[in-house]
Amino acid sequence: MPTTLLELREVGKVFGDTVALAPTSLAIEEGSFVAIVGPSGCGKSTMFNVIAGLLRPDGGEVVLRGATITATTGHVGYMLQKDLLVPWRTVEDNITMATRLTRRVTDEDRAEARRVARQYGLGEFLRHYPSALSGGMRQRVAFMRTLVTHQQLLLLDEPFGALDAQTRLEMQEWLLRVWKDTGRTVLFITHDVDESIFLSDRIVVMSPRPGRVVADLANPLPRPRGIHTLLEPEFIALKARVLGLLHGGDL
Amino acid sequence: MRRRVLLNVGVPILSLLLVLGVWQLIVVGGHVASYIAPRPRAAITAVTSQWSTLWPLILGTIRETIYGYLLGAVLGFALGVVMAKIPVVQRLVYPVILVSQAVPVIALAPVLVIILGFGIVPKIVIVTWIVFFPVTVNVLDGLGHVDPDLKNLARVYGASRWRTFVQIEVPASTTPLFSGLKIGAIYAVTGAIIGELAASEGNSLALYQEHANSNLNTAAVYGTTIVMTLIGIAWFLLVVGLEVWSTPWQRRSVARRRWRRGADDPTG
Repeated sequence: MPTTLLELREVGKVFGDTVALAPTSLAIEEGSFVAIVGPSGCGKSTMFNVIAGLLRPDGGEVVLRGATITATTGHVGYMLQKDLLVPWRTVEDNITMATRLTRRVTDEDRAEARRVARQYGLGEFLRHYPSALSGGMRQRVAFMRTLVTHQQLLLLDEPFGALDAQTRLEMQEWLLRVWKDTGRTVLFITHDVDESIFLSDRIVVMSPRPGRVVADLANPLPRPRGIHTLLEPEFIALKARVLGLLHGGDL
Repeated sequence: MRRRVLLNVGVPILSLLLVLGVWQLIVVGGHVASYIAPRPRAAITAVTSQWSTLWPLILGTIRETIYGYLLGAVLGFALGVVMAKIPVVQRLVYPVILVSQAVPVIALAPVLVIILGFGIVPKIVIVTWIVFFPVTVNVLDGLGHVDPDLKNLARVYGASRWRTFVQIEVPASTTPLFSGLKIGAIYAVTGAIIGELAASEGNSLALYQEHANSNLNTAAVYGTTIVMTLIGIAWFLLVVGLEVWSTPWQRRSVARRRWRRGADDPTG
C-alpha cells in the first residue's frame, strides 16, 4: 500500500490584495511523479516556496512523513529553471554544493558525486567549470546536485523551461530514467501540458485568480514512455482534457 | 597560448615604450631645455647612478605602501561586509566614509603628523585611508548583487548564514572585490608619497625628489617620478596576478589537477 510522503493541509498565501494560493490540500504518495500544470499566476511557485520552507503560509500546515515542516527549510531537494550552478566550482564540486553548505564535504561525498555523474553521462565533465557546459548539461548537473541531497522529495520548478524542444525531450527521458533508478518522489512544475503528461503519474491542474487546484487527474499512460507515447490516443485524450481545464472548457 | 602571452605582455610594454618615444621626440624635436624636461635616458641615468642612495628610500616607500595597503584592504573588506549585513550600520557609516574621502588627503597629512608624529605610522594611515574606500564600496556593491535565487537555494538546503556567506556570497563578489583592490593598489603609492612629503623628518623618496628639485636637478626629479610610478604599477600587477591566480574559472574551462588526496581517484 502506498504511503503518503507529503501532505498540504489547507495551505494558503495572500500577498497584499492578491490571493496567490487559496487554501489548498494535497497529498503526494511516496515514489510518485506528480506534475503541477497551470498558467503563470496560478500559485504553483508559491506552493513550491511554501513546501520548500522559503515562505510561511498564512494558514495551514505542510506535513512530511507525518511531521510538520511548515516554514522550515532543509527538508526537500529543490531545482529551478535557472540552474544556479556556481561558476567558481567544477561540476564535481557543484554536485556536492548542497553538502558543502551544511557541513564539510567528505571523500565519500565526492566519490558519490563522481559515481552519479558517471552513471548519468557527466563523467567526462567532472573537472569542467559550468561555463564550459551547454544548457542541457548544466541542468543535468543541477539535478545531480539536487539528487545527492538525499532528500526523498524533489521539487522541480520548470527545470527544462529554458531548453530548446529537442534538448527538452532528451532531458525528459533522462529524468524518467534517473527517477526510476533512484525511487525518489518528484513534484514537477510546468506550463507545458505535453511535458506534464509525458512525465507524470498524476497531473494537478491549477488556475489563477485566486491560485487554486481545479483538477487532480490520474495519468494512465503505461511506462516506460518514449517518443511513441506522444502519439498514443490516451495521450491525446488526456491532453484535450488538461487543455480544456486550462482554457475554461472551450475546447 | 604563446600568442596570448605576446598580446598580454608584449603590447603593454610596447605602449610604454611608445610613451618614452613621444617624450624623447618632444624634448629633442622641440629643443626643450634640459632643466625643464630631460631626455628619458638622462632621467633613467639619474636614478641608476644614485641607486645605492635611492634603494633604501625605495624600500621605505614600498614598506609604507604594503602595510597601508594590507590594512586598508582588510579594513575595507570588513567594513563592506558589516555595512552590507547590517543596514543600520550602512546608514550610519556611509556618510562618514564619504566625508573621509571628500577631505583632501594632502590637507589631512599635517593633522596626522600632529596626532601621530613623524615616522612610518602617519604614512601607513594615509595609504589605508585611500585604499579602504574603493574596497568597501565595491564589496558593498558585490554583496548587494548576489543572485537572491542562489541565496534562497542555500536556504532550502538548510545552510547557515555563515556558510552561505563563505560559500556563496564572498566568491560571488570576487569580481567587484578585485576592482576595489586594483583601484586601491594604483592609489596606494600616491598615498605613501603624500605621507612622505608631509611627515618625513629624515630621508624618503619624496624628500629626495624635493631636494633634487631645489637643486635644479630636473633629471633626478623626473627619474624619481618614474621610480614612484613603477612601484605603483608593480603593486597593481601583483594584485592582478593574485586575481588571475585565485579565479581560474574565469579563464579556464577545465580545473587543474588538484593536490587534494583522493580527488582524482579513478575508482571513486
